Amino acid sequence: MALEVMARARTPIPLDVAFQVEPGELLALVGHSGAGKTTLLRTIAGLWRPQTGRVAVNGRAWLDTAAGVDLPTHRRRVGIVFQSYALFPHMTAVQNVMAAMDIPDKAEAERTLDLVNLHGLADRKPAQLSGGQQQRVAVARALARRPYALLLDEPFSAVDRATREKLYGEIIELRRHLAMPVVLVTHDMNEAQLLADRMVVIADGRAVREGTTAEVMADPDALRAMGIRELAAMLPAIIVEHAADGLTRLDAPTGSLFLPGVEGKPGTRVRVRIMAHEVILSRLRPEGLSAQNIIAGKVVRIVPGVGPGVIVYVDVAGHEILARITRRATDQMALAPGDTVHVILKSMSVARDHVARAPDPSQAAE
Amino acid sequence: MLFNRRSILATLAAIFLAAGPVAAQDDAPVVAAASDLQFAVAEIAKAFKAETGMEVRLSFGSTGNFARQIREGAPFQLYMAADERFIAELHADGFTRDEGDLYAVGRVVIMTPNGSSLAPDETLDNLAAMLAAGQITRFAIANPDHAPYGMRAREALITRGLWDDLQPLLVLGENVSQAAQFALSGNAEGGIIAYSLALAPEVGPRGTYALIPEDWHEPLRQRMALLNGAGPMTEAFYAYMKEPVAREIMERYGFMLPESE
Amino acid sequence: MDWTALWLSMRLAGWTVVVLLPVAVLMGRFLAYRQFRAKGLVEALVMLPLVLPPTVFGFYLLVAFGRNSPVGDLWQSLFAHQLVFSFEGLVAASVIFNLPFAIQPAQRGFEAVPVEVREAAACCGMSPVRSLWRVELPLAWPGLITAMVLTFAHTLGEFGIVLMVGGSIPGETKTIAIAIYDRVQGFDDQAAAIMSAVLVAISLFTIAVTYWLSARVGRRLS
Repeated sequence: MALEVMARARTPIPLDVAFQVEPGELLALVGHSGAGKTTLLRTIAGLWRPQTGRVAVNGRAWLDTAAGVDLPTHRRRVGIVFQSYALFPHMTAVQNVMAAMDIPDKAEAERTLDLVNLHGLADRKPAQLSGGQQQRVAVARALARRPYALLLDEPFSAVDRATREKLYGEIIELRRHLAMPVVLVTHDMNEAQLLADRMVVIADGRAVREGTTAEVMADPDALRAMGIRELAAMLPAIIVEHAADGLTRLDAPTGSLFLPGVEGKPGTRVRVRIMAHEVILSRLRPEGLSAQNIIAGKVVRIVPGVGPGVIVYVDVAGHEILARITRRATDQMALAPGDTVHVILKSMSVARDHVARAPDPSQAAE
Repeated sequence: MLFNRRSILATLAAIFLAAGPVAAQDDAPVVAAASDLQFAVAEIAKAFKAETGMEVRLSFGSTGNFARQIREGAPFQLYMAADERFIAELHADGFTRDEGDLYAVGRVVIMTPNGSSLAPDETLDNLAAMLAAGQITRFAIANPDHAPYGMRAREALITRGLWDDLQPLLVLGENVSQAAQFALSGNAEGGIIAYSLALAPEVGPRGTYALIPEDWHEPLRQRMALLNGAGPMTEAFYAYMKEPVAREIMERYGFMLPESE
Repeated sequence: MDWTALWLSMRLAGWTVVVLLPVAVLMGRFLAYRQFRAKGLVEALVMLPLVLPPTVFGFYLLVAFGRNSPVGDLWQSLFAHQLVFSFEGLVAASVIFNLPFAIQPAQRGFEAVPVEVREAAACCGMSPVRSLWRVELPLAWPGLITAMVLTFAHTLGEFGIVLMVGGSIPGETKTIAIAIYDRVQGFDDQAAAIMSAVLVAISLFTIAVTYWLSARVGRRLS
């Protein structure tokens, strides 16, 4: 049930993108506002038609301008969560969900609401629900359609940070139950890195980079479109214990990590996003530093950037950590590939929303 | 909630649909009568119904206007004009069954409302004097373009030599009833209207009048004719107009009657 | 008090509403959702009856529907009487001159349905017809009610066009507005006053309902 998308247009905005999403995979379309991400989503849904385009699910064409095929939206099995949720204001939550069903089934709709943690709120109207709750209803409604593709258009932009973190976790949890391709549009790189398996970076309507999340997030050329400050590495870790002073100890392939208050029971698998510009390098293992996290590794390569910066790729127990430092520093330190170097990470520089639950590896294959 | 609203609408719709246009088709034929006959013919129709049990529907208006409507296919069955010229024209164009009958000869009067500064007199001397003194602000007659009583009023004023001075001050009624309405409303010093209206109980007490000499204008030879498609009830009413009861009513309203056949 | 005339006016207004309701839904929806180059022209045409003097309008209707017109002749051959000077003729004229009262508020009502809600309906698998029934009408109905109420009240009061196209035939085309005019000419002030009061009461009721509904639409939008 793979989703193939190709779209080319000149007006009203230039567009030239093609990508594919496998079943169960979450692909993030990232880029600045106006780059064309939402337009692509609307193309998949049938709400917009490019001059040239093809959208196919499992080989069956929903749109094929060359062959003159253009299924209207209501004939495409697509589930979409709009940025504004677009819930039907005159219907209750459960009625909204039932509206998407082929055969309305109240019990089934209520089960779907349970799935998104909205138990007990089935009879509320959207006006009586909070932003986060409305978003969940929108997700439930999209799922009730039994779609061949699930589309999320900046679904978290309208909620506050705390709710957003919670929702990330729920989406990750939800993915265990989803067998369909999922496309997520976002301008938030943190969100993309935490949730997506693969990414397409779009700038001015063109795809400037495509690949797995790790590949893209470590590629400074790709990230120039998004802002080089987004460069980051992802480290898997397991929560070990919560200390009394508010720090959490995690077990990573690189050794122990100390981060401020990570939520979760000991044993929980998480992914930690380590921003390249927050990393300090040292030849010798430093002593007397305030930083709690000092990890030894080997320089893999050094990529010069525009201006005074360079990016140093450091291999730590099989995982890559990126460090953005000055060229002057690498000259002074005489760093070269193969050198041993220590990665220094401030606990407090890892923001709360840079840590997210990892999908269970045993279920990822479903 | 929405269900209730929709069912209210549905109910309303049902009411109007049920009593559809079909219900509007009365059997009573429609008579088009000049406005000066407003009170006289209403009384005659009442008597007709009391005597025969048959009913006619009356529509009053300007003679000229009715002629136009008849040419456009208005479903009148009897046309009672205030000027036989209109009957002749319709007959020539094939709209009437025959040449019809002269049923009355009318008169015009000058009438002023109670409290008006103008006192009516049959020589129109008062009117002339007040006009010369600039004391007339408004004067009402029926529209001379299509209302016979307006045409006669104009002729009378021309004969008396007052038309040119009075014309800028005239208020024209669409028919002679409306002219009477304007004349007696208190917004004009008075007007020239039909004698039959001045004699009506609803109108008379509102002012005073004086008959204008017959030879100052063409006679108001009022003629009626059955139109194509007239039915038996209309024919009966037509005949009834010549009956003594009807003639008596007409005389009471100041009409001069042609000799009985 | 001319009950026949009042009943005739109510029936005329009722029939006009019945005929215009589907027109208001379809045209109002079409104009609310679509953008096209000739849209300004179409909207202006819809508004035309509002700005034309009633007598001009009545005159053109007479020319279009009267004797010696294609429409008039067709009617005559089908029903053995003229379209003008008949109740049906009044309904036809009334439908045309009420177009702006019916379509405009309906268009506003449909415009109040957020675009994304309509798109969401399509994404839920609803065909345009189902979407209209289950999502758009429940949200746009205040605009439609306003349209129907305004049409009803406006028809009750219409005079010039009704007089020109219908004449003043008792029981057929003599509406209450004409009856009031007639009673004034007949020096029957009391009857005219009573009938006028009834019309005023109906008009006030109309205004009250329209304001209440506008408030509902306003609350829904905010």
